[in-house]
Amino acid sequence: MKFVDEFRDAELGRVLAGQIAAAVEPGRHYKLMEVCGGHTHTIYKYGVDDLLPANVELVHGPGCPVCVIPMGRVDDAIAVAREPGVIFTCFGDMMRVPGGHGTLLEAKAEGADVRMVYSPLDALRIARENPEREVVFFAIGFETTAPSTALTLMRAKREGIPNFSVFCNHVTIVPPLRALLESPDLRLDGFIGPGHVSTVVGARPFAFIPADYGKPIVVSGFEPLDVLQSVHMILRQLVEGRCEVENQYARVVPYDGNMAALRVLAEVFELRPHFEWRGLGFISHSALRLSAAYAGLDAERRFRVPGVRVADPKACQCGEVLKGVIKPWECKVFGTACTPERPIGTCMVSSEGACAAYYNFGRFAREREVV
Amino acid sequence: MSDLGGCASEHCITCSDEGVPMRVLEPGTDGIAVCAGEDDAPCDVLVDLVGTVASGDTLLVHAGVALLRLEEGALR
Ligand code: SF4
Repeated sequence: MKFVDEFRDAELGRVLAGQIAAAVEPGRHYKLMEVCGGHTHTIYKYGVDDLLPANVELVHGPGCPVCVIPMGRVDDAIAVAREPGVIFTCFGDMMRVPGGHGTLLEAKAEGADVRMVYSPLDALRIARENPEREVVFFAIGFETTAPSTALTLMRAKREGIPNFSVFCNHVTIVPPLRALLESPDLRLDGFIGPGHVSTVVGARPFAFIPADYGKPIVVSGFEPLDVLQSVHMILRQLVEGRCEVENQYARVVPYDGNMAALRVLAEVFELRPHFEWRGLGFISHSALRLSAAYAGLDAERRFRVPGVRVADPKACQCGEVLKGVIKPWECKVFGTACTPERPIGTCMVSSEGACAAYYNFGRFAREREVV
Repeated sequence: MSDLGGCASEHCITCSDEGVPMRVLEPGTDGIAVCAGEDDAPCDVLVDLVGTVASGDTLLVHAGVALLRLEEGALR
């Protein structure tokens, strides 16, 4: 397809790999974090890491929106879904994420009306078609999906649809990155920046990473050549002693962001004082809730939400995976008690989760042999 | 796609946090255009953020919303 095929050329990939090999200093180990789950998916699907020298290591960050939802919020969602008369709508992956008391899929099997949608607009359509029912949309995701929720809420308000509301779990990208950089067990040399979030927020918000923490970041596209080129750009910064924000994905990402989308977000949402992230704990100003103007469409105000904090299962090491401290296959339950069919942790649910990406593309068998 | 979701395909459409290039099939009305991605399946896309669109335009779509118009010449 146009806009895609150009970035999957194997020969160009080998050329870039050669340039990367030539750029690295022998004897130095480079640890780069890809922030976004979409990059993790690309890396393992296309074997991008196989093209890198042994001393360039990629670790996976907290950018899969499904992976960072804490168990307590899943339980809250299930509680709302079980309210009489509710049609609870969500993206497919969220149906399989375990809370402390099962999954939305299990709640559905037990009688709750839980339906998968592809966009919040689908949920609004269901509300129009079922005026006698309460339709709730389980909103998740970073600044990429938040505009979709915001525009849908604006439509719902404009049309005066009384039976539609949103259970908002949108999160923002900068606070968790800052929290990661403050983490004492983190040792990184640079970041592959999240291309899709940046289509909305721009590359500018990442300037604190080189300015405050002395690490380079390159905002990257999602095709294999995009990722390889971004790795090359980070390594060149390191080798040349530079440290800045670069935008490899300039064909899509405006440096200052998408002003129309940012305006919509500012109208519909406000920052929560704090929000719990799976594996990362509570992070200040890291999530969105509906603004006062949209409070009437807020499911947390319309329904009783338990709001109980649930500790992760003892065996779960998603936090370490999300911080890039361990590789997925180093988790004791990886591929045994925790699989995509029966996930214990969130990183095994979405294909953008690091554990699922390893598992689905058969990487773990080889990694274990290496051990 | 099954009701279980799952996304072993090209990109994760079930959490929808993925920018998908889509072609405008019909510009539509009221800010909703009919578009198609790689699989050619038509779907509704909100185009409020990108202004007027025309058949054949390529848009970057996230969770049913076009975030921007992709310009062919800007690729390389
Ligand atoms: S294998 Fe399962 S429990 Fe372990 S880190 Fe991955 S998702 Fe979490």
